[in-house]
Amino acid sequence: MKRLLLFLYFVSTVAQSQTFITESGYVNFLSKASLNEFNGESDQLKGLIDLSQNLLDFYIDLNTLQTGIGLRDKHMRDNYLETDKYPFAEFTGNLSVIPTLISGTKTPVTAIGNFKIHGVEREIEVQGTLSKNADGYLELEGGFDVFLSDYNIEIPKLVFYELAEKQEVTFNAVFKPKK
Amino acid sequence: MNRFILVILMGIMPFSLFAQLERTLANPDQPVELIFHAPRHINLLTVEPLSKKSMHFAIMHTFGTLDGGIQNLFGLDNGANIQFSFEFALSEKLSVAASRSSRDKVYNVFGRYHIFQQTQSGSKPFSLSVAGGGGVNTSKYDFLPEPAPNFSERMSYFGQVMLARKFSPKISFQLTPMMAYFTNPRPVYQIEGTENLYLALGFSGKWKVTDRSSLALQFIPNLNTDLRSNFGIGWDVEAGGHVFQMYFVTSQALNEQYLLAGGNGTIGDEFRLGFNVNRIFATGKKK
Repeated sequence: MKRLLLFLYFVSTVAQSQTFITESGYVNFLSKASLNEFNGESDQLKGLIDLSQNLLDFYIDLNTLQTGIGLRDKHMRDNYLETDKYPFAEFTGNLSVIPTLISGTKTPVTAIGNFKIHGVEREIEVQGTLSKNADGYLELEGGFDVFLSDYNIEIPKLVFYELAEKQEVTFNAVFKPKK
Repeated sequence: MNRFILVILMGIMPFSLFAQLERTLANPDQPVELIFHAPRHINLLTVEPLSKKSMHFAIMHTFGTLDGGIQNLFGLDNGANIQFSFEFALSEKLSVAASRSSRDKVYNVFGRYHIFQQTQSGSKPFSLSVAGGGGVNTSKYDFLPEPAPNFSERMSYFGQVMLARKFSPKISFQLTPMMAYFTNPRPVYQIEGTENLYLALGFSGKWKVTDRSSLALQFIPNLNTDLRSNFGIGWDVEAGGHVFQMYFVTSQALNEQYLLAGGNGTIGDEFRLGFNVNRIFATGKKK
């Protein structure tokens, strides 16, 4: 029994050393409508990569997104994302293949999982690259498209030419080993 | 058996504990936004703040009374009172503004300060703002047999406190205790009141009927005079950076002092059509 305990303890510590987290990932979305192009960004993407369990977990407080125009941010929060009810965009999933990381080399990765925004959850696939830097940190970059109608976010006819149905989301983050 | 469960639990715990990140808000006291569509609601100022370095431009009109019927196109033929108002936000809390109202050609300067905002967490159950300022009547009074009023006699001032709460995503209310002071309310001024000091309590209501339009209500009973109370009912439409406000109101006054001292018609027949265009310009960071 003691051996089993020790074994489990060992496994769990190993698992933890394979866990990487970020508190300040960068997220950007780009809206390219025929009459207006704008982007919004936040540097408060929180994320976890657990390579031993093959678990990815990310979320962002949508209130932290800024487009550069205060009123547009308010309308985005109040009319579109409804952040008082649904404050987070979340992704939980795993990598299709756990890559063997070579320091300094970007390895293409594919993540499959559930993306949730505006109270709607959908399975998505995200393409990106993962690399390990000299300090042993993980660097992740990637992007995916969000079609607003998929998440019950309606674009009123009045602003149809100013807000794109397809929002191009990109992100990058440096993950430190979790202690 | 118990030990077995304990061991299983200990084995699993490190995994399940760290399986997912705990979702936490970046700002637990996120303010409730867009209690009203714009810094104006029919005639009254609201608690709605401007983002730093943005400018709010409002063109407000009120026309003649409806009782002239179609002959006067429901008052549109009778001269409009027009107010141009520019408000600039020095910070997220403080803005300064200047306006010019055609009634008695009054130039007004005022400030608006947001003491605190209602929060989504409920730590602040309502928003509290104050506004105050003064204005000068610049009409020519050459025609008067007596001497025309001098500069200080043309001055009027106002101050108000605004308490507002968004009760639900659809319903917002604001309570506005207000005062106005005329240094010398001469009969020639286009006001009905004869007192120097006017006290009133403004009520503003918003019922968001669709995602981008609302029914607007305004009721301003005078507290220390026997002037009729002001009543307004309107429709606000939000369109991107513009907010259009169409309303029926009992007074042609557009600035705060004249709103309190200007007198009101009866509800219904002496309603006037009013129309505001609010535009917010962002002059800060551009993308």
